This record gives sequence, C-alpha cells and structure tokens, in this order.
Amino acid sequence: MGPTRDTPFRSADMSMVQLYISNEIGREVVNALGELGLVQFRDLNGDISAFQRAFTQDIRRLDNVERQLRYFHAQMEKAGISLRKLDLDVDTLAAPTTTEIDELAERSQSLEQRISSLNESYETLKKREVELTEWRWVLREAGGFFDRAHGNVEEIRASTDNDDAPLLQDVEHNHSAPEVERSFSGMNIGFVAGVIARDRVAAFERILWRTLRGNLYMNQAEIPEPLIDPSNNEAIQKNVFVIFAHGKEILAKIRKISESMGAEVYNVDENSDLRRDQVHEVNNRLNDVQNVLRNTQQTLDAELNQISRSLAAWMVLVGKEKAVYNTLNLFSYDRARRTLIAEGWCPTNDLPLIRSTLQDVTNRAGLSVPSIINEIRTNKKPPTYLKTNKFTEAFQTIVNAYGTASYQEVNPAIPVIVTFPFLFAVMFGDFGHAVIMFTAACAMIYWEKPLKKVTFELFAMVYYGRYIALVMATFSIYTGLIYNDVFSKSMTLFSSQWRWKVPEGWAPGQAVTAELVSDDYRYPFGLDWRWHGTDNDLLFSNSYKMKMSIILGWVHMTYSLCFSYINARHFKKPIDIWGNFVPGMIFFQSIFGYLVVCIIYKWSVDWFARGLQPPGLLNMLIYMFLQPGTLDIRLYRGQEYVQVGLLLLAFAQVPILLFLKPFYLRWEHNKARARGYRGIGERSRVSALDEDDENDNSHAIDGRRSSDDEGVAMITQDLGDEEHEEFEFGEVMIHQVIHTIEFCLNCVSHTASYLRLWALSLAHQQLSAVLWSMTLGPALKGSGIGGAIYIVVTFYMFFCLSCIILIVMEGVSAMLHSLRLAWVESFSKFAEFGGWPFAPFSFKTMIEESEELKDYMG
Amino acid sequence: MANGYSIFVGLIIIAAMCGAAWFFAPKGENQVLWRSSLILTFISCYLMWAITFLAQLHPLIEPRRSGLRKEFVHH
Repeated sequence: MGPTRDTPFRSADMSMVQLYISNEIGREVVNALGELGLVQFRDLNGDISAFQRAFTQDIRRLDNVERQLRYFHAQMEKAGISLRKLDLDVDTLAAPTTTEIDELAERSQSLEQRISSLNESYETLKKREVELTEWRWVLREAGGFFDRAHGNVEEIRASTDNDDAPLLQDVEHNHSAPEVERSFSGMNIGFVAGVIARDRVAAFERILWRTLRGNLYMNQAEIPEPLIDPSNNEAIQKNVFVIFAHGKEILAKIRKISESMGAEVYNVDENSDLRRDQVHEVNNRLNDVQNVLRNTQQTLDAELNQISRSLAAWMVLVGKEKAVYNTLNLFSYDRARRTLIAEGWCPTNDLPLIRSTLQDVTNRAGLSVPSIINEIRTNKKPPTYLKTNKFTEAFQTIVNAYGTASYQEVNPAIPVIVTFPFLFAVMFGDFGHAVIMFTAACAMIYWEKPLKKVTFELFAMVYYGRYIALVMATFSIYTGLIYNDVFSKSMTLFSSQWRWKVPEGWAPGQAVTAELVSDDYRYPFGLDWRWHGTDNDLLFSNSYKMKMSIILGWVHMTYSLCFSYINARHFKKPIDIWGNFVPGMIFFQSIFGYLVVCIIYKWSVDWFARGLQPPGLLNMLIYMFLQPGTLDIRLYRGQEYVQVGLLLLAFAQVPILLFLKPFYLRWEHNKARARGYRGIGERSRVSALDEDDENDNSHAIDGRRSSDDEGVAMITQDLGDEEHEEFEFGEVMIHQVIHTIEFCLNCVSHTASYLRLWALSLAHQQLSAVLWSMTLGPALKGSGIGGAIYIVVTFYMFFCLSCIILIVMEGVSAMLHSLRLAWVESFSKFAEFGGWPFAPFSFKTMIEESEELKDYMG
Repeated sequence: MANGYSIFVGLIIIAAMCGAAWFFAPKGENQVLWRSSLILTFISCYLMWAITFLAQLHPLIEPRRSGLRKEFVHH
C-alpha cells in the first residue's frame, strides 16, 4: 500500500522509525530535527533516573548559563534598561555550534563576575556616600548648635558667677587662651553627635533620660531629605542629634547607647575652624565618591545595555540547546558507545524530508559514517497527527477540546467547519447583528499581523477564533435573510404572498386577516414580511421553526452516522457495518426519517383545497407507538399498515444490534482457535530499547531485520498475547448492550435536543424585539428638539445593548449550544476519540509554549 | 413564478453548484476541505431555504392583525 497524500480528512500516516546517528553529530542532528519539528522521540532510557543520563552534565551547565542570563535580566530591570525583544517572525537564529555555546557560557560567566563585582563596589560606594552625607549633615547641624550655644556661654557663666561658687575658677583664671576659655570643654562638658532614624528618636531620648537620670542636654534637628539605605534601597528619614553631658564615663555610656540604638556617631570638632576644615574635607570626599559612583553606574549601564541587545537571543539559544540535550537523553547508545540510537514517530510522508536532513547534517560534518534512518513495523498504536492551517486551526481546537480522534478515523473537524457555524446561525439568525459580527471578524482578519501581539487574554481568545467568527457571521447573514429579521424588523425585498382582506366599514383597531394574493405565487426567499407584527406570527413561526429543527437535526445525525460507515470500511471491519451501522440506520430512519417525510408531505399537500382536516404530526407519532394500527386523523391512504410495518422494522433491529456483532466475533475467534492460528509469519522483534513500557513488553515489530543491527539486542517472540487472545465474550457483549441501549435512547433524546435550535432562535428574535420596543421604538414617535435628543440617547442605548446582550451574550450562548450539538449529537454517532496526540520535538512549539521565554519574545 | 416547482428548480441549481464545487475546488492538500465545506454549505443553505419555502407553500393559517394603521391597510 503506497503512501497516499495526507489530507485533513484523516490523521496522517505515521511510521515508527529508528535512527542510528554517529555520536559526534548527535547534537547537530537533533538540532536540525528540532527545526523541522516532525519527529516525536520515545524515551529509551525509562529505567535510568534523570541524574544518571548521559547528557545531564551538559544540561546542568546550561541551567547555570540560564540562571546567569536571568540574573542579567533582573539587573536590567533594576536599572530600568529595556530588553530588545526577539521577534521570531523577523529574526532568525542560526543553529549554534558547540564552540559558540561554549563561548556564550564563558562570556556569561565573565559577565556575571564583572556585573556582580560592579554591583558590589557600587554598593560599597553608595554606603560610603551615605555615611559622608550623614556626616555632612551632622557637621552642619551640630555646627549650628555650637554657634548658637557660644552666644550663651557668657550667660551660663554669669549664672555660675552669681552663685559665688567658683567651680570654674581655674578656668576663669586661665585667660591666656581665649578660645579655650570660650569653649565647652572649658566648662568640662563633652558631647556626642550623630544621626539616628527618626522613628527611633523618642525611644532613644527616653532611654538616655532614664540611664543618665536627666544629666544631659540633647539637641536635635531633622534632616529634610530622606537618606537611602543602599542594602535594600529604602528611603529613611533621619535626625541629627547632639548630646551634651558631663564627664567622660557618661559620654562613653551615651556613645554605647547610641550605637546600640542603631545611630551613627560622627566625629565633630567643636572648634569652628577645625570644623570648617572638616566640612571642607567631607565635601571633597563626597564629591570624589560621587564621581566614582557615577562612573561605576555608567559602566554598569553600558555593560547591561550591551547585554540587553542580545540577551533575548541568548536565552532562546540556551533554551533550544537545553531541549536538544534533554532529547539526547532519551536516546540509547550501542555497546561501543559510538552510535546513538533513537526511536520515534514521524509522518510517513515526511520520511524523505527527514532522511535528506540527516544526510545534510552528516555531509556537513564531513563524517564517513552515514546516519541511518530505518522504518520499523510495530503494532503499537500510532499518534494522531492532524495538520492544520490558519483557517482550520481553531475548528480543530474545538474538536480536540472534546478528545483526540483515533488514529486514521474520520477527522470530526471536517464536518464541524460547516455544521457548527451553520447551526449557530440557525439560532443567531438576525441580519443586523450578523453584519456587525461579520465586520468585526473581517477587521480581525485584515489586521491579523498587528493584532497577533495583543496579549489581553479575552481578546486573544476571540482573535484565535476569528475565522470561526467569520464563517458564523456569514451563515448568520444568510439565516437572517431567511428569517427576514434585521434588528427584529422585516425587510420587504419581494412582494408579499398575502394581502389584507379589508371588510366593509373597517375602522382602525379592528382585526384584519390576510388572504393569498394568488394560488400561483409564493414568497420566494425567506419568511413573508406580512407576518411581521401580526397577532399570530408566533403561532406560525413556532410551528415552522420546530419542524425545521427536527429536519435539520435528522439531516445532521444521518450525515454523522454515515461517517461510521466510512470508518468501518477504512478499518476493514465489515461487522461494524452489518452489526452497527445498517441496523442503527434502519432503526433511526424508520422512526425519525418517517417523521421527516411526513412533515414534508404535510407541507406539500393543499389540505383546504382537498377539503380535508390536516393531521397533527405530534399526535400521529404518539399514536404510532401507543396504539399501532389506529389513526387519529389520516395523513395518507394505507398509513396504518406503513406505520405498523415501520415499527416492526425498527424493533427488529434491536436484536440485530444487540447480538450480531458479539456472536460474529465469537465465531471468528473460535474458528481461528480451532485452526491453531497464531499470527502466521508474525514472528516479531522487540526493540530491546524499550523495556519500560507500562502496558506490555510487546512492541513487536515485523521480522524485517535491519542490516546493521549491531548493538540492538534482539528478542524473537510470538505475537501470542495480542488482541486475539484477549477476546472475552462477556466483555464484548456488555459493551454491545450498552451501545445498543445508548443508541436507541439517544435517537429519541438527540432528536428532541435539536429543538434547542427553535428555542434559541425564538429567544433571540423575541429579545431583540423587546429591546427595540423599549429603546428606539417609542423614541421614533417623538418630535421637536426633545424628540431628537431622545432619539440620539435611545439610539446609543439600543446600539450598545444590541452589541452587549444580543451579539456577545446571545452569540456565546448560541455558540455553546451549537458546540454541544457537534460534540454530543454528532460525534457520538461515529467518532471513537481513542487516540493520543502527536507531539513532535519542535523548537517552534517549545518557544511558543515556554512560560520562561515569554518575557523575551516580541 | 415561485410556485411548488421552485423546490425542484432550486435543487437543480444546488446540484449544479455542488458539481462545480467538486470539480473546481483548488488542487492540493486541502482539496478535500474545499469540496466538503462548499458542498455542505450549499446543501445546508438549500435545506433552510426549501424548508422555509415549503412551510409557506400551503399555509394552514393566515396573518391576522389588529393594530393596523389606516395608511397601510391597502398596502
């Protein structure tokens, strides 16, 4: 069987392949395959823990590089330097060589050291700067105290003189040094000056007062500007204090207390000249420190700026490199550890591409040992790979949200592309609302590129479904025209089939009925506008929409059921056709197919022209079950026999559905057993590389031995314990009983479920009629300026509420109902959903899905 | 114009359109997609139109209205 072209109709043909790659180019090969994104590798080292694998060292090293890069990013954020983000649509990254990665590792190592040392020195300098600033403040403020205090020395002394207690006599006598004489030390008073956090001042004062018993004089001033603590970058308000006290011991005590309270004590000279020198010196040093600081900051910024240009690219490179090594860890070695052996799934049709990529890499490396790719046959279930494009992607996502289709079964997304938006439109049918929605969808598609970057989640979701919205809106425009609804009003596109039959002496307010214009003319497209605003329009439209729901439901389910035939034929299971599809179809058609035929027949008969009473179809269906053979009102001749016949036919299908398939399978099984049939020619080789499988150890593959199987341990074994041996009649029977009951009951309940089409369409139409009558409707009767303003206001109300309630809310509700019809009513008829998704090793998806790299991507 | 036979005329038109969709669908990987989507679309739209048309073909009730204004009685 030659490979056929992959279509969206089924998942692609998959092959299990074995790759033999020379050890030296393992990394390059995986890199190239990652760019290709077509191979899903299997883990061949399941029994080896993550720490013991071959490339764990390399991953560790890359983890370290990644940590360094993240550190740079954090530093850049701290310094307020913006990152140049990587836009993979624009920039392409060439696959790096090993040396380039090594260089990157070395470079980031040295950069990290440089930046951390710069940071360290910056912090030290900053600390120094703060100290100097504090000191300057202390000098300034303390100087102020002294200058003020000096003016008072005379007074102080005068007061002591008056006491006539010459305690300071010796000082008084010492007139030789006027400077000293005027100083505090002359009065034997010492002082401590420093800086303390403002919130601690009160406690500080209290403690000093208590320990020194009030023997102190404290003076303080607030520093107006907040000082910044370099260790945590917090601004702190501080006060300068000067404490005067008597005696050395007390001063020492004060000093200790201030230190324990977290205050900084600074050396201040009381001599004003010396103090001036000190201030001068402090200012100089502060200037120096600030200069150095500025330089350091500039160097750091320059360094970070340079890094910021390529950081995103480095991050991606390292991420890719890590993924490569993680993949290499899945591979196995041959005994000589010269060849890497990999196993994985890939699409059969892409095998030539993979082969040529391998060839390319080998050639580029100049290796004489060829890389070998080997297709192996297996009875493992292949993954489901459904290719999508921009248009089908969102539809496929809707289907995948329900489950992954089995390998090679009909892709349920194919019918969904039309049926889902169409059933939505049946519920959402309003021309006006549909046009607004259509415009929005078109805008999203027109500005596809720029809108792709929007990260607002709710919008991103709508944007993702833009093509669904487009198809939904297109169908809604059509159904809106059929329902003849534009914002709950009607359009008079064609002339009506009705005209008012005005009685003699008619007065406004009196009821009028309509009559047909002619027997030969019917409204050609959609609902006749004459029904609009009549007293009995709901009577008509309910009957019409209910019947339409039943017919559409029947069509939808019959169509879905047909896929089960296609599936059975594709998987070559004729028993599924004769045991499931045919009896199921007959059962469904003889009840609901008959109902649909009756509906159409009843429509096509002119009952009044025949002078007959039209029968109620609901009663007919009920009587068909409750009293077979009797009729309420006759629909056609021979009806009772047809109905009894159909009923018998339907019930005859139940035993067929129940027993045919299980008994056939048992017969087939027994026949095979009787012949001693054990899978002739199916001697199998187990890839010894996967000893880890959780279900069974039989990844048996056909006996095709590859020529170079050196190093691959071979085990030949019978395919004995395969599905045939597992045949359990009871299980099959129970399964079939459940299927039968479910199918028969679902035929009824699912048909009833389609009445939601009528219910939601009615709700939508009524809601928009109510909105009109509550906003714009009454406003149109006004006149003059007041009326004009009233119209403008009510129009905005009408428009906004239309968009919010009728388009967004009603749209979401109709979408959910349509989704249910697809998932439950349609998929249950044919799809098995027993597959597992194909997740190839691909850099593209890895970057898209990585949370870490999200910050770096433009 | 527009009597019971219109259903069959519509059917012929739709059948022709389905045939055209089958033969003129762009070749390539997505040919299946084009064919199935277009044909399904035509058939669903035809179904809806036909149902609406049939429902009004031999009406069992006629419109009745009481709030009619004088100007529109003979409209």
